[in-house]
Amino acid sequence: MAPLPCLLLLLPALALALGPAAEEARRPLALEALGEAGELAEELWGAGLPGDLPELEPECRRLLAAFAEGSAALTGCLGRRARPVRLCQACHCHYRRLLAQYGNIARAVGNSSESHNCAKSILTSDRLQIVVTLSEFFNKTWEAANCANCLKNNSEELSNSTVEFLDLFNKSLMCFEHNLQGQTIYLSPNNYTEVCKNCNETYKMLNDLYNNLQRMNRQGGESGHSAHLCIDVEDAMNITRKLWSRTFNCSVPCSDTVPVIAVSSFILFLPVVFYLSSFLHSKQKKRILILPKRIQSNASLVNIQEKYS
Amino acid sequence: MANVAKKVSWSGRDRDDDDEDGRAGETTPLLNGTGPGAAGGARQVLTPSSFLRIGQLSNVDLNEDIRELETELPRQHPNEIPHNEKLLSLKYESLDYDNSENQLFLEEERRINHTAFRTVEIKRWVICAMIGILTGLVACFIDIVVENLAGLKYRVVKGNIDKFTEKGGLSFSLLLWATLNASVVMVGSVIVAFIEPVAAGSGIPQIKCYLNGVKIPHVVRLKTLVIKVCGVILSVVGGLAVGKEGPMIHSGAVIAAGISQGRSTSLKRDFKIFEYFRRDTEKRDFVSAGAAAGVSAAFGAPVGGVLFSLEEGASFWNQFLTWRIFFASMISTFTLNSVLSVYHGNAWDLSSPGLINFGRFDNEKMGYTIQEIPIFIFMGVVGGILGALFNALNYWLTMFRIRYIHRPCLQVVEAMLVAAVTATVGFVMIYCSRDCQPIQGSSVAYPLQLFCADGEYNSMATAFFNTPEKSVVNLFHDPPGSYNPMTLGMFTLMYFFLACWTYGLTVSAGVFIPSLLIGAAWGRLFGISLSYLTKGSIWADPGKYALMGAAAQLGGIVRMTLSLTVIMMEATGNVTYGFPIMLVLMTAKIVGDYFVEGLYDMHIQLQSVPFLHWEAPVTSHSLTAREVMSTPVTCLRRIERVGTVVDILSDTSSNHNGFPVVESNPDATQVAGLRGLILRSQLIVLLKHKVFVERANLSLVQRRLKLKDFRDAYPRFPPIQSIHVSQDERECMIDLSEFMNPSPYTVPQEASLPRVFKLFRALGLRHLVVVDNRNEVVGMVTRKDLARYRLGKEGLEELSLAQT
Repeated sequence: MAPLPCLLLLLPALALALGPAAEEARRPLALEALGEAGELAEELWGAGLPGDLPELEPECRRLLAAFAEGSAALTGCLGRRARPVRLCQACHCHYRRLLAQYGNIARAVGNSSESHNCAKSILTSDRLQIVVTLSEFFNKTWEAANCANCLKNNSEELSNSTVEFLDLFNKSLMCFEHNLQGQTIYLSPNNYTEVCKNCNETYKMLNDLYNNLQRMNRQGGESGHSAHLCIDVEDAMNITRKLWSRTFNCSVPCSDTVPVIAVSSFILFLPVVFYLSSFLHSKQKKRILILPKRIQSNASLVNIQEKYS
Repeated sequence: MANVAKKVSWSGRDRDDDDEDGRAGETTPLLNGTGPGAAGGARQVLTPSSFLRIGQLSNVDLNEDIRELETELPRQHPNEIPHNEKLLSLKYESLDYDNSENQLFLEEERRINHTAFRTVEIKRWVICAMIGILTGLVACFIDIVVENLAGLKYRVVKGNIDKFTEKGGLSFSLLLWATLNASVVMVGSVIVAFIEPVAAGSGIPQIKCYLNGVKIPHVVRLKTLVIKVCGVILSVVGGLAVGKEGPMIHSGAVIAAGISQGRSTSLKRDFKIFEYFRRDTEKRDFVSAGAAAGVSAAFGAPVGGVLFSLEEGASFWNQFLTWRIFFASMISTFTLNSVLSVYHGNAWDLSSPGLINFGRFDNEKMGYTIQEIPIFIFMGVVGGILGALFNALNYWLTMFRIRYIHRPCLQVVEAMLVAAVTATVGFVMIYCSRDCQPIQGSSVAYPLQLFCADGEYNSMATAFFNTPEKSVVNLFHDPPGSYNPMTLGMFTLMYFFLACWTYGLTVSAGVFIPSLLIGAAWGRLFGISLSYLTKGSIWADPGKYALMGAAAQLGGIVRMTLSLTVIMMEATGNVTYGFPIMLVLMTAKIVGDYFVEGLYDMHIQLQSVPFLHWEAPVTSHSLTAREVMSTPVTCLRRIERVGTVVDILSDTSSNHNGFPVVESNPDATQVAGLRGLILRSQLIVLLKHKVFVERANLSLVQRRLKLKDFRDAYPRFPPIQSIHVSQDERECMIDLSEFMNPSPYTVPQEASLPRVFKLFRALGLRHLVVVDNRNEVVGMVTRKDLARYRLGKEGLEELSLAQT
């Protein structure tokens, strides 16, 4: 009996989660249908069996449902944006909404006694406390991803620098794509000189911007974020760098082995000279023996010599 | 009455064993002391070449000369030998742990009532608190300055390397790095070599000697502290393979010695406080507290600090002293912790209890299982062998340095060369390494890209291009896979030789961190290969193997046991590691001791310090006090002529510090029994204040000398040359009975060496008078007489005295 309502509960949430993701135009029809069915089932179930939830006020149930929807939406977004990482760009609205929903549950809104009851009955009345756990999980993920770093202070939209970076990132990706036209990737490592030449400028700009961001971030470390940039930016840069230096093999540092060897062997040679010369020229330090005033009995000498032999 | 047996016995075999003319001057004829009890025991050994002097001596009336026994024999040509480890230097004197209970002392004790003694007790606590606070603050200062300067240096070099990686010309970066290192180290070395050479090294051997009761000149001066602190900062910033933890112990000791005296002779300031503590006994107690506070600040290990003092100076240890030492340690680590947490911006967090923090070792992630204990023990064996190798190499190097590189400018040049080579080796290793790790998610302070792909850093650079403390923590805590085995192997090899080469340079620097670093590197390598061999099923985290390797290596080098276990345990903050760390350290010590002794003991020996170990050599029971003691002894009469005292004190050939006082009976036929013991320092104070019998009769208003006058002169009594005694005054008499210690410790001639040794060590004596059964002075045992006998490779050895 138990799994079925659970499933039924989840389905509308999924459907709702899919709903706001408007930029994802392809919505699976089947899922939609399922979702509608689920919604129907839930209403039926909720209305039909009032005795099952004796302590939960309708208001609270509404809050809980909203939270469930919000978390489902966020989960879906996070999952879909896992690779390539676009978490912060795509999901920050969901996250903000979820925070608000959680806040609604926890905080007193409207009739204080009732909300208080809501918070109590939803958040703390059982061992599992699933709502708290979910909210903690999202918070932790958000913090690990360091998304606050890409967002403006009110967390409503991406910060200017992030937008700039992403623009540049897209530009360089386009550049790569453009220059690779007609070639198949992974063809042979020597065929990328074109890319390297043409996209060098964009790549350099991107790299510099990233380094700048990093430096600024490190200097403004007291704002509470760690030294990392947000995961979107980091990952974007990572991908580009990997493409650039691994796949295209564009960054070829000049290695000047000969001068390095020369200089280092010169320096390594110096101590040899030093020790040899001090061995040969420095006067060896002599110690002057002081003769102790002692009874020179044979007993002690014998004693010592016995030990020697 | 005293009969002198004149018997010449000098077998050819004995002669061959000695230097040709070496023993000639040593054959001082025995002049007294063959009472009935020791009849036949005394034989005079003469070489044919010294018959002449026998002739001279034979017309001296021996019976009359019995009170005043001096060596008036002309010295032979001094015998010069190259420095070796079987010498005892004359430079080192003993500290006096024994209280001189003379009349002044008794008077003072009568004057001070009960409450005053309670004040003294409170003052002790206050001093300990101050020691803790100041030691903590000094540690903070060192830490902050090193962090900033080293950060600056690494940023400059990194910027330079990054720039030249693109354009080419990396040899300039190498030159820049080497020059920066060399110049910083040059400053550090110059101040040590030219201003205060005793500040060189880690300072632990010196403090060990001090706690053992050897007075190392300048070791607890304020000047030494300043040089030490600056020297440590400069040598760590200069990128040498050194740490700043060992010198903290020395710094703590100097702070303790300074505070407890309430004045500084370097600054020529006397704050007129804590005058009660101006003597060796009290000072030494406080120095042990200071050393403990230093350890505690260095490793965040207060208990380890207490145990360190205990291990090194435990013969003078009691419950109250330990409790005070513990107090000082706790205060020290707490001060460091609170100041550093304020500095790092999270006040009240208290997360950095020591200069080095090993980081958190969680039980879940880095716990160990019982099956791993044999592996740890095996690591202990490896650590012992490597430690012994380290010490043996360092021994040869130090010997070479003492013999050939003794001029300060040469020492500075050597330090600079080491700094430049350290940079070069680091650079070449980084240059040749192809071990690249992704930058994401790592906590590398100065990631060097060099030839790695964009977004990656050179893994060798985390080990070389960083301060050693940070590298140690990285090796402990970086996730598995951060280093590849090749990198670790090369790093261990290179760093081993660099650290070995660096220790003993004329810079102030410690050996703790380099040892930990070497150990952590091979330990991690060991851990990686272990998980590789077992297909990575269990024992996943190489971090704990790095920890055990570090413990093994450090134990193999310094051979500390109890205190090191506790220090490591406290630094990891995990008590469950206590057992494996103990096993590892034990194994490392046992294995290492099989080959050579510990680094600190080795350096003490190479410095020719008369260090007394815990026990006399085991096979020495057949040696008696007769053979050990120095004789004849320069004695003073109870009422002595000033001229005689001045002459004795000014005699450069016999720089004695304690003089037995004998009965001043003019009747020569009577036995001149021992009445007391007086020290050179006391005599000098007496001469300075001109406490002569005649003057006392002349004017009754003359101020009586108090104990305070002696304390004011402590610890640097003026040399005898600075005291002017006129010709008239030379004829005056001086009465010593009030000032001498009336009950010096004595032993009979038949006492065996271990017995004498035990008395000496346990009571912290400086002079032990050997008497015959008529209470006549026969000889004197001092620290050097006992320290001469040592258990060498072939049994009992005798060291010779030398001027250094």
